[in-house]
Amino acid sequence: MVERRLTWLAGIVLIWGAAIFFKLFSMQVLHHQQYLNQARARQEIVIPLPAPRGANFDRNGQPLAMSVPAESVYLNPLKVPDFEVAAELLGMVLHLDQAELYGKLAQAFENHRGYLVVKRKITFDEGQTLRSLGLEWIGIEASSQRHYPKGMLAAHVLGGVDFEEKGNAGIEKSLNDDLQGRAGEERLLADVKRRGIDSIHETEARAGTPVTLTIDERLQFVAEKELARAVEAHHAASGSVVVMNPNNGQILAMASYPTYDPNQPPEPGEPANARSNHAVSVPFEPGSVFKVVTITAALETTKLTPASPINCNGGVIRIAGQTIHDSHGGTGVVPMAIVLAKSSNVGAIQVGLRVGSENMYDYMRRFGFGQRTGIPLPGEARGRLRALNEWGKLSLPSVSMGQEVSVTGLQLAQAACVIANGGLRVKPQLVLKKGNQTVPQEPPVRVITPDTAITMRQMMEGVVTLPEGTGHNARLDGYRVAGKTGSAQIYDVAAHRYSHVYNGSFIGFAPLTNPAIVVAVTLNGTRGNVGFGGAAAAPVFQAVATEALRVLDVPKDLPEDAESVTLVAKAENVDDLAVTDQPLEERNILEEGDDDDQPAAAADTRPKVPNFRGMTMRAVLAEAASKGLTVLPAGSGLARVQDPPPGARLRQGERIRVQFVR
Amino acid sequence: MATLPAFLQRSEAGPESAQHSETQRRTAPARSERDPFQLRALPQDDVFFYCKKIDNSRLVREPDPQSRGACWSAIGAAAVLVTMLGTALAPSVANTLSGYKLEALRAEQRRLVDERRTLELSEAELLSPERLQKLARNQNLVTPKPGQVIHLETKDGGTVAMVKRQ
Repeated sequence: MVERRLTWLAGIVLIWGAAIFFKLFSMQVLHHQQYLNQARARQEIVIPLPAPRGANFDRNGQPLAMSVPAESVYLNPLKVPDFEVAAELLGMVLHLDQAELYGKLAQAFENHRGYLVVKRKITFDEGQTLRSLGLEWIGIEASSQRHYPKGMLAAHVLGGVDFEEKGNAGIEKSLNDDLQGRAGEERLLADVKRRGIDSIHETEARAGTPVTLTIDERLQFVAEKELARAVEAHHAASGSVVVMNPNNGQILAMASYPTYDPNQPPEPGEPANARSNHAVSVPFEPGSVFKVVTITAALETTKLTPASPINCNGGVIRIAGQTIHDSHGGTGVVPMAIVLAKSSNVGAIQVGLRVGSENMYDYMRRFGFGQRTGIPLPGEARGRLRALNEWGKLSLPSVSMGQEVSVTGLQLAQAACVIANGGLRVKPQLVLKKGNQTVPQEPPVRVITPDTAITMRQMMEGVVTLPEGTGHNARLDGYRVAGKTGSAQIYDVAAHRYSHVYNGSFIGFAPLTNPAIVVAVTLNGTRGNVGFGGAAAAPVFQAVATEALRVLDVPKDLPEDAESVTLVAKAENVDDLAVTDQPLEERNILEEGDDDDQPAAAADTRPKVPNFRGMTMRAVLAEAASKGLTVLPAGSGLARVQDPPPGARLRQGERIRVQFVR
Repeated sequence: MATLPAFLQRSEAGPESAQHSETQRRTAPARSERDPFQLRALPQDDVFFYCKKIDNSRLVREPDPQSRGACWSAIGAAAVLVTMLGTALAPSVANTLSGYKLEALRAEQRRLVDERRTLELSEAELLSPERLQKLARNQNLVTPKPGQVIHLETKDGGTVAMVKRQ
């Protein structure tokens, strides 16, 4: 009897265990994912990990573009209880047109759309107001917003992004893959109060790579300011300025006008060409600046020298039934250097005819015309350089003086670099670093001999310095300058002839002995004689080059009268002061009562050492500078010890050592 | 069953009172003569309890070393059990508490990173060349001439700018 009962009991327990086992098997194996999802939905919070788009910096680390967190408002039209109320409420809070919003809501509802973005990039206050409403059909999602903190500065270089933060112009577009980050996701195990307990990285966020440009924002600002001033003063339609380092091809500034604010989306009234980078995307007939190529080709392929006489025919020449005049007055037989300085069209044609079509075409290609420079900017134009077999009878004369060919401002700057750096064609570089990795620069290509380059430099200096030169407005204080003006008449397509509207341009570099910068200025659509390159573009060169040489601290190559002695003290030099190594009695401890107003010997004109006691380093340096004295500072804090003592007379070349103590 | 007041009253009455009650019961009128306005007695209303006073002061518990040892063993075992349980659970509890703290700090870090980016943007806007130029113009400052600004290199890698008065 007992055994029977035990058997029954064992059977029941077995069935019970089997039921539990099968239930467990069902939960843990068969429906594992389903229950897992249910559990996660209750216990976990998914947190999006933002991956901000990489910032853009100038060469000195100044941010030019950066992304900051922002919020967007969305709602589910299918859950909105009353469209009128919703439109009125959101319109009031978000400063939107209520009627338009109502229409969007109604349309979304008709289309059975459950997601409608009401406004992107809302302000902090707007977000707070919406949150305080506590309406469940209003959602706020985190996003990112691109900002250009310097406004219009370098707008054409930087470009812009669309509402999804994808680049649509400039560097933002061409380097979009580098700049764009990859958002991540984090699962957060939360308690009943939705407080996080533990987190699991589902996908790691990968921030966009910051990009450092070769642009210097100080030079960029000056270039844009001077360009805008010149374009407005000469009523030009557009213009561009490119500042390059001729030795490595780095672009220090690239300005284009008209310009725009990349923080603002395109507006209906905006000029059509405002967002075009004229320095890169808009080719133009260069005019006389192209004579640099003609003369260079002549120096390399013919026996012509700067002193070789060129017959300018009184400023008139007739070729293939066409009469061509000099625009700067006629002249007779002049050295080739004067042809360049005076920018004689007839002289350039005579030289070009000696060079020949093939050589001319070859050198135009060598200088980089008719081909893209490879700068990482979208929409770069290659310019117009017809194949040799397409040249007509007038092509060689036209090309010799810069017509029948079109170039970009960047190509002009690149060509000027060839002359400036001794005959090497360097590829323009715009990106200095990606992240911490320096972007390698392509090796330069030799296209002309160094001798030719030096000869061309001297001839181009004549454009600025010679009385016959057309580029007097490009002279710089303290620096020797080489340059070339250009004033190309713009062809009137309707009238089938050249108009009196010009492309005024100037290319130049300084200092002549060791060029540090190349500047190419173009103004499109100038009018009259004041619109020539020498009158309109050369002053822009002067202003930009002056600021560039100052900012880059380029040594002057012209002697200056009464220039004060430069006071430069390096820390390494300060180490050899040895002031504190001197015996105490020999030090000049600066105490109360020390005075530098001691009477000096009548015949002694040597400078007297001031009393620097208790002064800060800045004040000491300023006072020393004002008196033309050289100070070697050591330490930090306030001046305590100085040698020589206050009131002493300095010998020629002697420096004042000042020990600062906190 | 006696009510509490009745119980207290009767138990405190003592034997004399009990006899008095017995006399009263005997002299009570017959059922038919019962006062109609008098409340009827509850069932067992006449049950009396007595408080028996027991004096245990003379009793002395005999010492039992075995039971004391067992008691201490039980206490020790419980303490060990609690300690082991605590030791086993402490890391988990600490982990959970640390998790709370860690997640709160992570959220704070995210917030601070966002705030830093916003502040960097503000700084960049304030350092805009255009704005600086306006400020300089308002203070009648001019662009220094070439060579007028001299940068001194310092030991700590910073630079000190000085301006020559010309």
